[in-house]
Amino acid sequence: MSVSDLFDLLILALLITCVLGIARVRDLATAVTLFAIYSFVLCLLWAHRGAPDVAMTEAAVGAGITAVLFFTAIAKIGRREK
Amino acid sequence: MRKFLALVLIAALGAVLIAAVVNLPEPGTTDSPVHTHVSAGYIKGGHEAGGADNLVTAVLLNYRAIDTFGEVTVIFTALIAVLAATSLAGPTERSGTQNIDLKTTRVPVSPVVSFVVRLMAPFIATFALFVMLKGHELPGGGFQGGVVLGAMLILLALFSGRTDKTDDEELPPGLRNWIRAAGPLVFGALGLTGLVFSGWLFSLPDHPFWREMVMIGLELGIGIGGAAVLVGLFRALREG
Repeated sequence: MSVSDLFDLLILALLITCVLGIARVRDLATAVTLFAIYSFVLCLLWAHRGAPDVAMTEAAVGAGITAVLFFTAIAKIGRREK
Repeated sequence: MRKFLALVLIAALGAVLIAAVVNLPEPGTTDSPVHTHVSAGYIKGGHEAGGADNLVTAVLLNYRAIDTFGEVTVIFTALIAVLAATSLAGPTERSGTQNIDLKTTRVPVSPVVSFVVRLMAPFIATFALFVMLKGHELPGGGFQGGVVLGAMLILLALFSGRTDKTDDEELPPGLRNWIRAAGPLVFGALGLTGLVFSGWLFSLPDHPFWREMVMIGLELGIGIGGAAVLVGLFRALREG
């Protein structure tokens, strides 16, 4: 197993950790923050796997714009899951 | 009982997915089905027929131009849907203690954040423009540059807030809506130009100079229109 494969495995482990965290937390703001972290880690995977344009979009849309839109929505509906 | 049922269903789904992944061809092998059908032709003829050094752009703007036109339209339609939903719902009631009134509450912005955003914004905008203009040669293109530009504009809007803005600083609503529709408009207009000059909808001109100009026009239209749509989504959600 090469260093490159180890990097992929580390990223996949981080992704799974983020997803489990999103499923567990009851605070929507925390969930959105974890989701942004998930997108950013996934963006590293795209860049490492040779898709720089997808990585760029993932960083801008997943980690940036979607998180902002979710936070704007949370500010309207309240951050606690009922 | 319901938990048990859910567990069984998830285990079954997981088993199917893992079986599918295990049976996938090894990544990077050239004789897998993915690489033996149309993609061989795309890779061989993409530079000539597709008219772009970046094969992804050649596929997006040439081989699958109608697909891309649909994508551009979908993004624009999403904005229309959000605008319609927020205007139909009317002003939101702000009852309950948890809701933050966005119109009056402003968290003071840290000077560090403010300085870094102001410092980075021109560089991000230049990078976004570069990605759009060079999309036919390098990785990137209209969509990618557009989302980077949109993210930069939303970042600026986030920390500058809306209360300290007068109406003079805003674009007139008519112009704003035309820019938001730039993606489908430019793409549709250039597609019709192809129909007039070479007889095929969405075909690119044969002359290398005009081909490059049309591609740059497409990328700019998609990018700037996409960025305007993203900012529009953000504004509709914040103000609706």
